This record gives sequence, structure tokens and C-alpha cells, in this order.
Amino acid sequence: MKEKFEPNIIGFLCNWCSYAGADLAGTSRIQYPPNLKVIRVMCSGRVNPIFVINALQQGADGVLIGGCHPGDCHYERGNYLARRRMAVLKKLLEHTGIDPNRVRMTWVSAAEGHKFAEVVKEVTEDIRKLGPMQNFKRENKW
Amino acid sequence: MVDEKELRDLVKKTVKRDDVKYVVGYEKGTYGFQVTPCFAYKPEDADKFVFSPLCVHNLVVFPMLEEKPPLRKGEQPDSRKVGVVVKGCDSRAIIQIIQEKGLDRDKVVIIGIPCTGVIDPKKIKAKFPGQVKNVEIKDDNDKFAITINGKTHNIAKDELMPDKCLTCEYPTPVLYDILIGKEIKSNKKEDYKKVTSFEKKSLKEKWQYWEKQFEKCIRCYACRNSCPLCYCKECMVDQLDPQWVRRTVDVSENTAWNIMRAFHLAGRCIGCGQCERVCPMDLPLMELNKKIEKDIKELFEYTPGINAEEKPLLAMFKPDDPEDFIL
Repeated sequence: MKEKFEPNIIGFLCNWCSYAGADLAGTSRIQYPPNLKVIRVMCSGRVNPIFVINALQQGADGVLIGGCHPGDCHYERGNYLARRRMAVLKKLLEHTGIDPNRVRMTWVSAAEGHKFAEVVKEVTEDIRKLGPMQNFKRENKW
Repeated sequence: MVDEKELRDLVKKTVKRDDVKYVVGYEKGTYGFQVTPCFAYKPEDADKFVFSPLCVHNLVVFPMLEEKPPLRKGEQPDSRKVGVVVKGCDSRAIIQIIQEKGLDRDKVVIIGIPCTGVIDPKKIKAKFPGQVKNVEIKDDNDKFAITINGKTHNIAKDELMPDKCLTCEYPTPVLYDILIGKEIKSNKKEDYKKVTSFEKKSLKEKWQYWEKQFEKCIRCYACRNSCPLCYCKECMVDQLDPQWVRRTVDVSENTAWNIMRAFHLAGRCIGCGQCERVCPMDLPLMELNKKIEKDIKELFEYTPGINAEEKPLLAMFKPDDPEDFIL
């Protein structure tokens, strides 16, 4: 019997907003798909594109980057810089033939537990439709 | 084209200066269509200098490659300048490096040459295979006059020029201390023809194309070493802890390397085409670079290597940057 495909999504959430938002979603007992594996980063500006590429290599089917709303960054400008970076990275991924929808970005504040759950639901469904990431998954040959 | 005597005289004058360590230029190579970089430490060395349409190299790498060994006790650092012979495109690399504060403006002497287009070594080798003897090539308005064994071939420039020259917007160096010859204006315009036609393909077709290309890559890192803007002290791929890109040569690691290389040049690549020229496996690396160049022009209205006072693209932001992709 063929198993149903469950996407594997890595979430880089910013310590000050999105991570707290996820926490709020948890404490408010809001249900959302368990496909998101969260990695806490201090700021969305910390997310180096190599993190994204490496996650995709190691078997993630999608990557979600969460930061504070523009203007709310704890470090004042980290999320603006991340926004520019990801805009370029998504265009580049599209040009090489990797679906840019595998890399998602969102602004979630610490008070938006509901929005966080909605975003995770949407991203999971989108990536479920895209199917498993096969383009350049790392293979261990030993 | 450029008066070589004037070039040599000016280089001699520059090397003689007390505050100049050496000047990098071009000299005739040993075989066929070769021109190699050449260092002038003494005024006599400048006699070897040439400038012909074969001078494709971007010499701006050399001031960046220079080793700075630790100083002995009481030793003063060598603060002399380095002279570089640059074409229009190369001068933009210098501007970009100065903008990033990788190099001080007063640490380089820029000898600018207005360039009317160079020859793509891969194209000319395909045209005249097996050429061993050194060849004389002259620039003749819209043709290259190539003299082989006393016989002159006139070939239209469009056939031999690399893609970067066909759409060159800056034939005269943007920044220079000394200019040889007269400034020239270009009426060409970058149209990103290759990129736009490739963008129309489906994701699957795109990946099929790039997978084939990335499979070829042997990860010799020649693209990195020849790039004037890849001057990190420790490259991301050489790093062992954490090791982001493994050393295996396979599609997965090659893709990671090639995407990251292109991304690290986002908003910095000035399109000199060195990476593609040196690639032993003929990967079309400029297609990735040009794609990013086009995107940042559309998204952020930014062109790298024009203004040394501006901030680097990814180190600044505007509150109203495009964010239609954000949930």
C-alpha cells in the first residue's frame, strides 16, 4: 500500500515574533498541521540562503521563514534585509527550475496565533500539492 | 584601438612612482590566441605590455588575490599602491570592490583603456582549430583583422565577440586615474535576450536543462578563483565546520554550489564573464548571473558597479520593497 505523502517543512522562525506566535498558537490550543519542524533563529535576517538550500538538500520539501512585521523587527532592519534576500533567492530558484513556492516567507507577530496556524495550513497544503522535493536531494551513497 | 606605445609609456611612468608596487597588464602568450597577465615591477617590464582584442581577462582579481603574510617584529606593512590595466567592464568590478570596502580607492592606480570589444577565446578556437603559433590580431572598426601565416582574415565582430561585449553599455572605464586614448560612447543596450527567452520555459524544462549543466560541473572552483568579486577569506565551500556543501561531486552538491555562487554575486556581479570563460566544462554560468542582474534591476532599480558611494544592494533596503510573495 502506498503511503500518503506527508510534506516535511522546515520553519525558520524569528525569536521575537513568529516563534512567540507559534507559542501562542500552542498555548491557545489551535490545531495546525504537524508537518512544520521549527528552528528558532534570532531574527529572520539571520537566515542565510544556504540554510534554505541545505534544508532542501537534506530532505525538506519546503521551507518557511517567519519574521516580524515590517517596522517591528527587534533589530530594526533584519526583516527588511531578509525580504530582499528571499526575493532574489526565489527568482533564482525559479530560474533553475525549482518551484519557488517551496520557499515561503511570512510575517507573524507574537499576538497572531491564529494567523500562524492559517499560514502553516496553507503552506502545508501547497507543498502537499507540489509533491516531494526531488530535484537535488542529497543522496548518501555509502 | 589603443596605442600600445602610449600604454607602455604610461605604465613605465606609473611603475617609476615611489608609491606604486607593481602594475598588472597583459603580455603576449606563448601559444595561439593567448594573452596572459603580466606584472611590471620595474620600468623595463613595461615593454612587454600589449593590448589587443584578445585581452579578455579581468585583471582586477590580482589586487584581491595578493597574499598578505604576517609581519615580522618591527616590520612596516607595505602600503604601496597596485596598478591595474582595466577595460570598461573591469573598472566596474573595481568600483564594486571599493563600494564594499574590500579595497581602498587610494590603494589602486587604475589605468583605463576604452575598449571596443574583445574576442571570445572559445569562439575563435572553434573557428581556427589547432592554432599553435602566436597570432596578430587587430581591431578594424567593425571587423577583427586576424593574420595567420601571412594571410589576413577579416571577420565581423559580432561573430567573435563574447555575449557581454554584444550588449556592453560601458566601453569606457567608469572610474580611472589615467585614461589611454579617447573616451567612447556605446549605443548598445542590455536586453537580456537569453534570460527572457529561457524564463518562458516551464519549471520542468528549466530543471532538465540545469540538471544536465550541473551534472557536468567538476567543482574545480575556477569560476570562484577567476571572479574579481569572490574574495572571501574563507569561501563557504571550503568551510568545514559547519560544512554546508559536501565535497562529493554530484548533482545535489553541484546545484547547491552553483546556486550559492550565483547568489553570493547578487547585486555584485558586474558581468565581466570571467566565470564562464574559465569554466573547463562550459557551464553557462552567465545565464544565472544575468538573471539576477535583470531581476534586481526590475525589483530594486539597482545596477552594480556604477557608483562607489552607494551602499551594497543586500545591505540596504527600502520600506516599500516588493513583498507580493509574503504570506
